[in-house]
Amino acid sequence: MSTATNGTLDAKRSPMWSAGYGHDAISTRTLGFWLYMLSDAMMFTALFVAYTVLGHAFNAAGGPWGATVAHPGVAFEETVWLFSSVLAYGLAMIALTKGHRGGVMLGITAALLIALGFLSVDIHEILHLFRMGATPERSGYLSAFFTLVFYHGLHVVAGIAWMLVMLIQVAFTGLTEKVVYRLLNLRLFWHFQAVMWVFMFTFLYLRGAIV
Amino acid sequence: MLVHIDGPWSPLLGRLALSEIPYKNPILVGTFVFAMLVGVVLVGLATYLGAWRTLWRDWLTSVDHKKIGIMYILIGLVMLFRGFIDAVMMRTQQALAVGPRSSGYLHALHGYLTPYHFGQIYTAHGTIMILFAATPLLVGIMNILVPLQIGARDMAYPYLNAVSLWLTAAGAALVMASLFIGNFAHAGWFGIVPVMELPYSPGVGVDYWMWAFQLSSIGTTLGGINLLATIVKMRAPGMTWGRLPIFTWASLSANLISLTTFPVLTVTLALLALDRYVGTHFYTAGLGGNLMLYNDLFWIWGHPEVYFVILPAFGMISEIIPTFSEKPLFGYLGMVLASLGIAGVSWGVWLHHFFTMAAAPAVNAFFSITTMVVGIPTGVKVFNWAFTMFRGRLRFELPMMWASAALFLLLVGGLTGMMNAFATNDYMVHNSVFVVAHFHMMLLLIVYAIFGGVNYWFPKVFGFRLEQRYGKMFFWLFTAGTAVVFIPMFTLGFMGMTRRLDYVAFPQWGPLLDIEVAGIAIYALSVVFLLAQLYVSFRDRAQNRAGLDAWETSRNLEWMTHSPVPFYNFAVTPEIHARDERAWRVEHGVDTVRPERYEDIHMPRNTALPLGLGLLSFGLAFGLVWRIWWLASVCAAMIVVLIVIRSFDNDTDYTIPAQDVERMERDIRDVPSGRPVTGDVAGGVPAFREGV
Amino acid sequence: MTHTTDNAWQHPEVQLASGGYVVAYVAGLVLMGLSLWIVRGHVLAPMETGIAISALAGLAALIQCVLLLHLNISETQIWHTVALILFIPLFILAIGLSSWMFHGLYRRTMLMPAAHVSAPATGAQAAGAMKAPG
Repeated sequence: MSTATNGTLDAKRSPMWSAGYGHDAISTRTLGFWLYMLSDAMMFTALFVAYTVLGHAFNAAGGPWGATVAHPGVAFEETVWLFSSVLAYGLAMIALTKGHRGGVMLGITAALLIALGFLSVDIHEILHLFRMGATPERSGYLSAFFTLVFYHGLHVVAGIAWMLVMLIQVAFTGLTEKVVYRLLNLRLFWHFQAVMWVFMFTFLYLRGAIV
Repeated sequence: MLVHIDGPWSPLLGRLALSEIPYKNPILVGTFVFAMLVGVVLVGLATYLGAWRTLWRDWLTSVDHKKIGIMYILIGLVMLFRGFIDAVMMRTQQALAVGPRSSGYLHALHGYLTPYHFGQIYTAHGTIMILFAATPLLVGIMNILVPLQIGARDMAYPYLNAVSLWLTAAGAALVMASLFIGNFAHAGWFGIVPVMELPYSPGVGVDYWMWAFQLSSIGTTLGGINLLATIVKMRAPGMTWGRLPIFTWASLSANLISLTTFPVLTVTLALLALDRYVGTHFYTAGLGGNLMLYNDLFWIWGHPEVYFVILPAFGMISEIIPTFSEKPLFGYLGMVLASLGIAGVSWGVWLHHFFTMAAAPAVNAFFSITTMVVGIPTGVKVFNWAFTMFRGRLRFELPMMWASAALFLLLVGGLTGMMNAFATNDYMVHNSVFVVAHFHMMLLLIVYAIFGGVNYWFPKVFGFRLEQRYGKMFFWLFTAGTAVVFIPMFTLGFMGMTRRLDYVAFPQWGPLLDIEVAGIAIYALSVVFLLAQLYVSFRDRAQNRAGLDAWETSRNLEWMTHSPVPFYNFAVTPEIHARDERAWRVEHGVDTVRPERYEDIHMPRNTALPLGLGLLSFGLAFGLVWRIWWLASVCAAMIVVLIVIRSFDNDTDYTIPAQDVERMERDIRDVPSGRPVTGDVAGGVPAFREGV
Repeated sequence: MTHTTDNAWQHPEVQLASGGYVVAYVAGLVLMGLSLWIVRGHVLAPMETGIAISALAGLAALIQCVLLLHLNISETQIWHTVALILFIPLFILAIGLSSWMFHGLYRRTMLMPAAHVSAPATGAQAAGAMKAPG
């Protein structure tokens, strides 16, 4: 006796083999990439755990701490840059809904340039902190702080590199299935940076400034 | 930014120098000679058989999930052997180095291993057994079975699957390299901080441990993504969630764990790397670091990892027991919920690894209770297996013997686990060999399930059954070894013996340690019978050819295609009508494998890129271990270049025309069920090559 | 196993892109600006500030998840949503339980300044000690 679940089924007449069955390649790809993004979110979570545990005054070991390190004003400037880049990439995706290659490339180029703006503010701020003696080697608190900042910065650099590759592929390969799912994955990747930045801005810079 | 290291360093070779080759240690020299001999024999054999081309075309560059699974299992078996040798050395050292009057050999004061060498051995044993034996064996089995069980042609991302394999292989190779070049970590498989920090472990051992761990961790995360996406997206039509085979459900639960927790491990190790290379203060004892942060992060991964390896084992047991009870699985829904429940609860128990940290009592109480909660879904599973067997027609063939013995180990391991779950009790047994014996029961349960699973699915993958007489001798000797090693170990734990002793100060523990050596000798003897079983099975493969359903009473989809499975799995994707599809079709008399009409098949093309990525990862890790910066940078840059090159490759798939499929299917001669048939054997997975 | 289609960009997942991106942009900037104003202007007590900016961050992330990442229960997106919902408790468990255990640890190892020891927490600790397992 099998645990057949379909009691009314006539075995002799129902089809045994499916005809013309295929998988949706684009959806399969984006699901996997989204799972990867979630695992990346878990890496951010682990870094936030480190930041929470090492976020107390005594973890600064007498070094710079709190509002000396976390500058919400500069961080808001970075927020504007990053969100604008995300919006520009979103506009490229709106162009993609109509299969408009030029629009896609224009949007990606804009997103790329604005992301460079974000990076320049980010690097400038990091160098400023280094000059005043706040370096990752100074204390456990600063190690956790900078690791989060650098990890997010690394994502932005990776995003920029990916955008360059996609610009070439859109230009020379056209909007094939592979290019389209890569554009969608980059959309997930890039827009995910905005979500992560919300938490960086709130808990690293705002919360960091008021402890 | 980089931390200054005392000692010689050159731009070309980093910290590597001739003095790092341990040519003065007779044990390592012996191992090296043995490894070289095995290597020479294998290379010679491959050349003699002219197998290099096949090896390269059909295996090393393959993206076929079955071959990748087999290669995972081979890595796992090699590393299992290595870990077993480590165990033999630990047992003999502890039996020799008892009491102040015990003599010493090979520069050791007592026994024959110096404390530093002994430390490396127990670290290597733990690291290897968890990450490079159990994990690859189980990932390999999941790789082979999940696509077959859900009626898919391959994994969702065959290329990524190969990348995961070669990352794991690179990690295993790094552990092996540490034997002969430099040394390995000596601070326990889970890393005792701050001993793992640079000032206390200035050598390369910790770096080897860290990067090998890291590579396999990344490989497993990617593998988890792949299996989850496969199960969600690649199921055959009609394969609803309620009809998913139970092993696939167990794999799904296990990979939920790997996807969610391995990233935490990646971060944990990356932070340790930052401490050791850049001089940050995450886990240091001073300057605002917190060494308990390491334990916290490590066990956020570490405990779920235990369930990551045990859930597929439970899944295999759940497949084997119904087949040999000739009944459907009792309580399918309960089993599914229990698997998912174990995966969920695993996320709330990690502090029980450091109850003695001095967290607040409420915290300890919370984690104590959550740990006990794990017993509930596990109990559900045990009762389901028992009720499956109840009034079944039990056949104790080899897989069933391994599976039912695993239940006894689960009982012992589970109950001692419940004892450890009490925080108050844990203060008594923490760091004692009682805990060691407990988790060895659980890991041996996994080993038993793996042996059961290998015996069970071997005919599906290779087309012939494993021989049973030597197999049963192997089983009984292995079981005897388990009893003789671990009953004294539980006893010693109660007597207060702590873990990781390179010298045993109490002579009264000597006799029990001697019994443990007898046990390990039985284990060693059992390996001979395993080899005999494999040899005889291979020699008599023509007599042991298996039909579609090697056991006559199997129930799931994987038994509906040919044995061995052709590289495209199913000629035409089957329609699923019931939970145990094969049983349902047999019952309704529609169990033919010949479809009415063939169709074109799309398959992924083989590629050497994953192998290249694996080699480059090895180079990157090796460069980082020895601080050879040029090697590390070149490899890192090449990895990025290869990834970009792959994204420009538009020729990644090919199509097999329907008439070719039909021709290949016609050439397969299935053995009729029930009667062993003498004759030609296709022998092994590669029934066909690409483009035939 | 990919099937090449002529107009891959007509895939429903591509067609999800919409003017919602502009809404998400404006909403994100407004909410983050609001948080900045709360912190900069010291409008609330420290405790309330923490709660308020956390709530605003949660709201902003929610808006972005819906409008940017298109998390909904449509056929193409349902598994994305399910996966995130499975992950969220784990984010909270990892950070929440870790900070809980280290909060207790720091107090008991006298790293935490006495002023940070709040009365209810001491009560909970005492209750916990009595209910300790065994």
